[in-house]
Amino acid sequence: MKRIFIFAIAALIFTSCDNNDDSTEIQPVENAKTTITFDARVGNADFALNKDFTIGTRTYNFSKLRYWVSNVTLIDSKGAEYLIPDSYYLMEEVGDLNLSGTISDKLTYPARKRESIDVEDIPAGEYKSIKFSIGVDSKHNDNLSLQSGELSIANGMSNIAWMWHTSYIFSSVAGIVKEGTTSADFLAETGLNANYKTVSIDFAAPVNFSTAKGVVLNLDVTKIVDGIDLIKTPKVNAAQAEVMSALATNYGSKAMTFGSIAN
Amino acid sequence: MKINFSYSILLSLILTACSKKESVDPEPQIYQFAVPANFPRPVFDIENAMTREGIELGRMLFYDVRLSGNNKVSCASCHDQKLAFSDGKALSNAGVSGTILHRHAPALVNLAWANNGLFWDGGATNLESQAFGPLTASDEMHQDLFELVDELNAVPEYVKQFDLAFKDQISSQNIVKALAQFQRTLVSANSRYDKFKRNEAEGNLSSMELRGLELVRQKCQSCHTGELFTDNAYHNNGIDADFSNDQSEGLFQGRFRISYNPADMGSFKTPTLRNAALTAPYMHDGRFTKLEDVIDHYSGEIKVSPTLDKTIPTNGFQFNPDEKKAIMAFLNTLTDEEFVTNRELSRP
Ligand code: HEC
Ligand code: HEC
Repeated sequence: MKRIFIFAIAALIFTSCDNNDDSTEIQPVENAKTTITFDARVGNADFALNKDFTIGTRTYNFSKLRYWVSNVTLIDSKGAEYLIPDSYYLMEEVGDLNLSGTISDKLTYPARKRESIDVEDIPAGEYKSIKFSIGVDSKHNDNLSLQSGELSIANGMSNIAWMWHTSYIFSSVAGIVKEGTTSADFLAETGLNANYKTVSIDFAAPVNFSTAKGVVLNLDVTKIVDGIDLIKTPKVNAAQAEVMSALATNYGSKAMTFGSIAN
Repeated sequence: MKINFSYSILLSLILTACSKKESVDPEPQIYQFAVPANFPRPVFDIENAMTREGIELGRMLFYDVRLSGNNKVSCASCHDQKLAFSDGKALSNAGVSGTILHRHAPALVNLAWANNGLFWDGGATNLESQAFGPLTASDEMHQDLFELVDELNAVPEYVKQFDLAFKDQISSQNIVKALAQFQRTLVSANSRYDKFKRNEAEGNLSSMELRGLELVRQKCQSCHTGELFTDNAYHNNGIDADFSNDQSEGLFQGRFRISYNPADMGSFKTPTLRNAALTAPYMHDGRFTKLEDVIDHYSGEIKVSPTLDKTIPTNGFQFNPDEKKAIMAFLNTLTDEEFVTNRELSRP
């Protein structure tokens, strides 16, 4: 009887931990580190704030681009998965953001460009692909008190305003869009558990992180806004459920592609 | 003596299995949540195990005006124990800005079972996330979360209690976790009705009260379900028929503003009927002053709209005066004096 109880407890000990280290079938021989870059682009050009870009018949001038990347997983040539622990990263390119009145009376989030994440302790091996999600998984999205990675309510990527859905904003892109003489200030955001999207990307060739310095993935902003009419719907959020879901699908299905391996 | 593992050592192992920081302090004691015999099992958030120390900390915080920006408002300012943790006002102006809130402060009762969203529209998924709402809202506690952590760090008692409860520093995350733990102990299960159900001493219901119980089970049960007297779901109970006002981010549209499902237009979370005699005024905007008004509403003042819940007849339940009296009498048996006077839930 007691033994059973102890076994039950032992099971608890293991399950009570964050789920992040249960995919360690790969034995670390010599752990490697690398840098994963999410290179924001507009078609073939490098993404930049406050600069005009032509996409189709429209001119876009962006003032921010932010999104959560989470649960980054490397998959080796045998199919074994290595989930990077606590992998919640805020990728962004923003000017100074005024976040006063969110969790603090006066709060300025300083301008920042962040495209890369440094990863350590990667078990030795040949990796063929990477998997990650745009947004925050339901467990963490539903509970703002869980601390993991860069998750925080202090950076303006969550909704905690009184009487609004308390959860994270998965992605946020803002700017001005013009076509002929019409123009609109847009703010296109995604969120809600249903819009949590997982992306899988194959590397062009197997990568060994003990030699490769990094992996570059491309985020093409023209694909993010593809099919989304931001003049007609300049504010995309939970109130525009369909447009928001289309936007999230764009992030999940076509905006991210393989770029290159840095050796 | 290895066989003689005490449960508490094992339990403490669970807690340390994941903590990064080594500490020599005693481990927090796991709180044994007692489920009342006539209640269902609550679903717990395993990421925030209740401990005696955590609950005590949550209680200190719940009653502490330091949680507000002007150090004058505590959670208890709008959630008063003697009113089953409601505030007796239709729409409060007790917040830092002194402006009138858009919604009525609900009673905080049996929240350990509230697993389908909090707030009248379910905008927060759990008590942990919910607490950030009142803390930061300018018309409520208007607190700067960075300042709050600094302020609490200046109080040695808090530094000690956070360490005891979480083996960690003071952080806004640990603040909301402690508040959630305390609020899960707000269990009301000792009304005369409960004693009747459990065949306990003083558990007698008069024939009129029994008639009322029967009526409530027949007519109200579809929403005010079971022993919790709520299904924790969202319904349009016919207090309004026009939801075209989409001001204030859909405030008046109820659950629709969260789900964006047209079927949820004008739906609000079913409140419990427990302690109803103490929680006037009623509904999400406190529009009914007396319980009698509520019963009159269900009896014959239903406002019909496409989303009106199917279990409510469009012309109401048409109660006769005796039935109304019986329902009133029964609702009064749901008052739990022990709950509203329990010292363990009072200001520490
Ligand atoms: C100024 C008054 C005020 C203060 C102060 C206040 N509340 Fe509330 N509380 C409200 C109102 C009003 C609502 C309902 C809001 C809604 O549903 O949209 C509410 C709702 C809640 C709910 C949801 C209950 C349910 O059944 O859905 C909880 C839990 C709660 N408050 C806890 C707290 C805690 C914890 C604090 C302190 C950190 C606090 N409140 C401070 C007024 C207040
Ligand atoms: C279709 C579901 C449904 C039925 C049936 C129903 N109610 Fe309700 N009840 C609700 C909802 C939802 C609310 C909150 C509505 C709001 O605030 O907008 C509520 C509110 C109340 C309140 C106010 C509680 C408070 O704290 O504000 C009382 C009292 C009440 N109902 C009693 C009854 C009685 C008595 C019956 C049976 C005669 C009944 N209800 C039938 C759904 C229902």
